Amino acid sequence: MFRNFWANIQTVPHNPSHPTRPRLARFGMLATVFGLALCGPWAMARAAPPMRELVQAELIAEPAAIRAGEPFLVGVRLRMKPHWHTYWRNPGDSGEATSVKWTLPPGFAAGPILWPTPSRLPVAHLMNFGYEGETVLLAEMRPPAVMAAGRPVEIKADVSWLVCEKECIPGETALVLTLPAAASGAAAPPNQASRAIFDAARAALPNPAPWGARLQVGQDSLTLQIDARGLKADTIRSAYFFPFAETLVQHAAPQQLGITADGLTLRLSRNALATTAPREAGGVLLIEEALGGTTARQAFTLANVGVGQAATPPTASIAAILQAALLALAGGVILNLMPCVFPVLSIKVMGLIEHAGETRESVRRHGLAYTAGVLGAFAMLGVVLLAVRAAGAEVGWGFQLQSPVTVALLAYVLFAMGLSLSGVYHMGGSLQGIGRGLAVRSGLVGSFCTGVLAAVVATPCTAPFMATAVGFALTQPPIVALSVILALGLGLALPFLVLTLAPQLLGRLPRPGPWMETLKQLMAFPVYATVAWLVWVLAQQVGPAGLLAALVGLVLIALAAWSFNVAQTARPVARRVALGAVTASILGTGAVVAGLAQDRAGPAALSQSASAAAYEHFSQQRLAELLAGNRPVFVNMTAAWCITCLVNEHAALATASVRSAFAAKNVAQLKGDWTNRNPEITRILEKHGRSGVPLYLLYAGGPDPIVLPQILTPAIVLGEIERIGAAPQRRASLSIATKE
Amino acid sequence: MIMFERRTLRRTLLSAGLVGAAAILAIGVAGGPITASPGTQARIGAPAPAFQLADSNGKTVSLADYKGKTVVLEWSNHECPYVRKHYSGNNMQALQKKWTAQGVTWLTIISSEPGSQGYVTPEQANKLTVDRAAAPSAVLLDPKGAAGRTYGAQVTPHMYVITPDGTLAYMGGIDDKPSSRPEDIKTAKNFVDTALGELAQGKPVSTPTSRAYGCSVKYSS
Repeated sequence: MFRNFWANIQTVPHNPSHPTRPRLARFGMLATVFGLALCGPWAMARAAPPMRELVQAELIAEPAAIRAGEPFLVGVRLRMKPHWHTYWRNPGDSGEATSVKWTLPPGFAAGPILWPTPSRLPVAHLMNFGYEGETVLLAEMRPPAVMAAGRPVEIKADVSWLVCEKECIPGETALVLTLPAAASGAAAPPNQASRAIFDAARAALPNPAPWGARLQVGQDSLTLQIDARGLKADTIRSAYFFPFAETLVQHAAPQQLGITADGLTLRLSRNALATTAPREAGGVLLIEEALGGTTARQAFTLANVGVGQAATPPTASIAAILQAALLALAGGVILNLMPCVFPVLSIKVMGLIEHAGETRESVRRHGLAYTAGVLGAFAMLGVVLLAVRAAGAEVGWGFQLQSPVTVALLAYVLFAMGLSLSGVYHMGGSLQGIGRGLAVRSGLVGSFCTGVLAAVVATPCTAPFMATAVGFALTQPPIVALSVILALGLGLALPFLVLTLAPQLLGRLPRPGPWMETLKQLMAFPVYATVAWLVWVLAQQVGPAGLLAALVGLVLIALAAWSFNVAQTARPVARRVALGAVTASILGTGAVVAGLAQDRAGPAALSQSASAAAYEHFSQQRLAELLAGNRPVFVNMTAAWCITCLVNEHAALATASVRSAFAAKNVAQLKGDWTNRNPEITRILEKHGRSGVPLYLLYAGGPDPIVLPQILTPAIVLGEIERIGAAPQRRASLSIATKE
Repeated sequence: MIMFERRTLRRTLLSAGLVGAAAILAIGVAGGPITASPGTQARIGAPAPAFQLADSNGKTVSLADYKGKTVVLEWSNHECPYVRKHYSGNNMQALQKKWTAQGVTWLTIISSEPGSQGYVTPEQANKLTVDRAAAPSAVLLDPKGAAGRTYGAQVTPHMYVITPDGTLAYMGGIDDKPSSRPEDIKTAKNFVDTALGELAQGKPVSTPTSRAYGCSVKYSS
């Protein structure tokens, strides 16, 4: 029955061994097809040039009958002779992608070819991408909303391909598929024979990537940054990027993988053919993940890959550097108005007012020391940034804000500064807060330190505003990047530097007075606002428990500040107690920060997975309860860093068919999170001979569960769920089992 | 908030700006010129890599012999369907005749290793030229693939155009229709013909690179 829907299989490409004129080859093709139809095996043997065995092409449809307005899948199935291959949409260094041209009845529309994940096919020192053995190129067909019932529908595909082993032979064929149209409302009969083929074809498609990705363009290299946070370096065996564009990368060049807490980076060689900056950077990412003893291959489509700006040609660099540096200088000046910097600068200026009696020379030296502090801190930050990048990690400006520990520490430093401004405590008994406190101890060192402080507290503010500009600078050679970063620093230092270089301006400043204390206290609020922003940043990085810990840290900082103030004024005994409280609070804060490093939020995609709502948290006790109540139970052991778990959720467990099957059989679902190596879960993994996740168990009645494979498809899960009902029925009564 | 004396401010800002600009310039100069890392592969606008190969008549030929002439390099494998596409329709031969008549040197290079598709002995190479009525200036035999690898020739036909001063001006496919169907030639834009035409008029090559398409070169592994 099903066979009737299959199209004509025979295909005859040009004869490879003799140079023939194409017309003749076409005629030969027709002749062969007719010959096969009329003369049977003899003709086949006779006219069997290599191509008949090289590729067998079929056109198949998923449903046995189609209905108006209901999209369905068709597939061009290509079966190649062993060791021969056809090509992916980007064939690589040579070859040609298979093409399909549809001829459809009126009102029908065809979607694009859904390309299965390709294989790497190295030939000498070249690299091709394609398929060996068998491949099915799926496409979605959309019938019109209104269709004459009962009239069969004819879908035609003109397929042409290049099939190669070492030598290449082009082939083409016209495939026709006739499908009956079912009356609307009638249940579409499932096509059992094609079901396995389509299930396999769907499983061979890459999944949409749950992560964002960016491409940084260098002179000769490209760096693909994938925001797959929290992956574990020891579980990722390999990663490979198949670009859609044919002239993006050197296909045969090795791809260097880097794994950090912030994701994956792949360093690619830029294709010499591309003279302009790439625009299209999408592709398929193939990740091999270690699962206990085996390796799972997971493919993801990376769409909408942002392309970082290309490096400017080196010849135009002096002008380009100057332009970028001047912009950065202006940006640096504006930074002085940022809520985290303005208070620091104000303190410093107030210091000048207070010391208005100092000599011009001394004031000037303070200004230069401050500038040196700012530039030193910026240079240090720039060098660290460049060194980390050179080591292979792709980081941007504000990279320090990607670590929850750094964010928390910055928040604490700023909070302590805010408390000082509010007058909760006084550093060194001075009215002028920390910046002034540092300045008092030894004039110039103090000014230098204020500069460093200004730079450090300025970076969190620069991140959102300057990220693009500094990001551009970072794609440049190190010397340009450093120049731009230093220009930014110079801009930050400039207003203060100007004040000190032209002390006559100081005379214009208002006279010292009580208003300074009020202003200082007012300045605490932009600082608190910055702390609030940093806590918000932190909330994206850690779970609720981590956020609570970070907030407790703030309380401890406040306690430490208050105790410190008490200690300064109290009698010796009380002073010792107060200093103890300061130490304890600071130690407590340290413990909080250390704890933050452990608690990172999992990938967003996992927590957002559609099936999450149906799950309960796993515990041995809950499992025992459910089993005692004779409920079937599905146990899902997963971890935030497990890519295969993520794919199984998306491709199998969260699909509508699986979810409704679970619901129909009243299956309780328990999810165990092994992200932090929960020992209860470890015991269960070991009991089933696994050293890691994923582990899927289905308790279908009885104490021993069915262990599902580590890589799931809807068909596998549905097959096991179907058996849930069958087993107890058999036990209960034979007659019920045979009734159907 | 604070009033400044305008003139002083301007002077101070100006001097600070000058100091900053000078510092940046100094850094830039101290760091030396910023140059691209030298590639081993052929690059547009750079000197075309040198090679020395025996031609089908046993004569040793090097690129330097053709200084002062525009040179076309054509990687070929007569059994490759994509090469046949351009020879069966007389496209490649016509191009060879058109441009050699105008003083261009056309070198057909065969990099197939012995025993693989497209490999020819010197005698077979000469016979092939007669049989397919080709008109190259010479057929060069590169069975070890040395010249092919130096140029990064990936496929047959892979085409290169070199200016009289030895600069690489074009590399890539022969046209913009990557298929093996000869009927596509009529509607295709021929990049080599365009590049040679532009060079003859003293213009820069408008499309200096394209994706080469065809069969992989059958290199020795």
